[in-house]
Amino acid sequence: MFSTIIEQIVNGIVTGSVYAIVAVGMTMIFGVLRAINFAHGEYYMLGTFGAWFAVDYLGLSYEASIIVGLLSTIVVAYVVGRLVMQRMVGAPAEAGVLATLGIALVLQNTVILVFGGGYKFFSGGYIEPLSVLGFSLAGQRILILVVCLLVFIGLELMVTYSRMGKSMRAVSQNVECCEVVGIDVPKVVLHTFILGAALAALSGVLTAPVNVSVYGGMGELITFKTLPIIIMGGLGNVRGTFFAAMILGIAESLVATYVGLQFRDTVGFATLILMLMWRPYGLFSTQARF
Amino acid sequence: MSLAKAAQQEHRRDLRIPLAAILVVVALAAPFIGSRYVTHSLIIALIFMLPAHGLNLLVGYTGLLSLAQAAFFGIGAYTAGLLAVNYGTPFYMNAAAAGLLAGACALPLGVPALRLRATSFVMCTLGFVIIGQAIAKNWISVTRGDMGLSAIPKPHFALGPLSFTVSGTTSFYYMALAIGALSTLAVWMIVRSPAGRNMIAIRENETLAESLGVPTWRYKLIVFIISAIFAGVGGSLYVHYLTVVSPLTFQMYYSTTMLIIVLGGGAGTISGVVFGSLLFVGLTEALRITPELRMVAYGLCLLVLVFWFKKGFAPVINRFWDTIGGTK
Repeated sequence: MFSTIIEQIVNGIVTGSVYAIVAVGMTMIFGVLRAINFAHGEYYMLGTFGAWFAVDYLGLSYEASIIVGLLSTIVVAYVVGRLVMQRMVGAPAEAGVLATLGIALVLQNTVILVFGGGYKFFSGGYIEPLSVLGFSLAGQRILILVVCLLVFIGLELMVTYSRMGKSMRAVSQNVECCEVVGIDVPKVVLHTFILGAALAALSGVLTAPVNVSVYGGMGELITFKTLPIIIMGGLGNVRGTFFAAMILGIAESLVATYVGLQFRDTVGFATLILMLMWRPYGLFSTQARF
Repeated sequence: MSLAKAAQQEHRRDLRIPLAAILVVVALAAPFIGSRYVTHSLIIALIFMLPAHGLNLLVGYTGLLSLAQAAFFGIGAYTAGLLAVNYGTPFYMNAAAAGLLAGACALPLGVPALRLRATSFVMCTLGFVIIGQAIAKNWISVTRGDMGLSAIPKPHFALGPLSFTVSGTTSFYYMALAIGALSTLAVWMIVRSPAGRNMIAIRENETLAESLGVPTWRYKLIVFIISAIFAGVGGSLYVHYLTVVSPLTFQMYYSTTMLIIVLGGGAGTISGVVFGSLLFVGLTEALRITPELRMVAYGLCLLVLVFWFKKGFAPVINRFWDTIGGTK
């Protein structure tokens, strides 16, 4: 009984890491654009599809497929960023919602049209179990945990010390002032957006060997799970997002075991609605920033 | 405008009434003009027009962007389907129950949701769709889960000894047309009433409206409920037409379609919604475009609407109407 709980919590942390890498990109994009990116999960899907294409069609190794997945997503993100996201600076919130919904529809259904709507099998990755501290855990899951930690440490350092990170924080605080002091706001928006999309793709590529199935509609579910996380974490809050993702991952894992697997995907939206009612500024921020 | 030009235009005849008459005749004669498939496409367009009218009251007149229409559409579809399958009740009862239940669900959902602003409200209404789908999937004893309901009887009417079943495509078209016309009339009456002007005031400036004594909170809640009633009735028509309903009715696909109709046709105009449902649903259905390609097109339409074509087709329709009326 007790070991099952521990096992489920560990599983939840792995799932949480997957969510955390996706969600942190979304929350950073929100920070600079004040807009929820409803297409965020689609970049997760694109990354997975890029990697699946590399393994299945090009016969590349899993390591190379990670690169292919990331690069293809970055190219798409660059185009979307230039054509759409940069226009959203200073636009009303509704415009952001509608534009990103439109992008989600285009990306998701283009992939379905090109590759077909069926489920694809992803082969590759490090699925052999390794024994760590008495737990038997697939190598891939350990990789996800390690990458998640590295991503968050890297982001924390970047946001605190690098010029880019500082300008991101500046843009998220006051766009007009940034323009006055000469920060290139559209450029910061583009870079943040590409970084966020690439992180989502990274998460997708890392999860593909664990989830095995790849399909065009997979991004939507990820977007839906990212929404409660970024609200819980406090919109624009990188550190809060990490803990919120872990909370959701563990909660889902426990609900799936003790309540029923079919209720797993409802946890996120129940959380979202409760959070919006009770603490719309998140668990980790003390007051509403946006 | 120069005098000569104005004089010339005065000679032009007002073609609005003849055109309206032609449109009415075309609408009535449509099943005999087009093929059966065209009639089918028109029925689908008319069905989607109902939730779109409701959404237009919310988005176009009150300024609240909601994705919850699919949830109320689904509630209506399940209500009507379950009543028809389990109790064999006549159509008007199913439709009324569907509208009422959707409206009743909108009350407890709207109270918390309407306290939220802009993006948070959108996310919350999206949540209703997902939760609706989860309930439809997991409340198996009632909804039969993923299998959904099938073999839902065609709508039938029973008034005392008289009983009539709407079985063919043509008769269904007339029923949908009548309901569509009634709902358009209902929206027109709401919008023309003082309540409609208050709604517009809330859209333009909520704080100002509040300070002028408009009970904004009550208005927003009532409009949310009315829009749900429209969606519920639309759902009942949908289920009786397709004769099947599954948890997939609670899908973003439907919310997006309704949003495209309203925004593309022109939010805040009634003719825009009628035109939008014919263009975005009727035409895509008639051209047999696959759902995926349709969604790509809708996505591109959304982008165009947001950045370049902000008012949709409404200005185009208005200009056309003024031109044939000889007023411009």
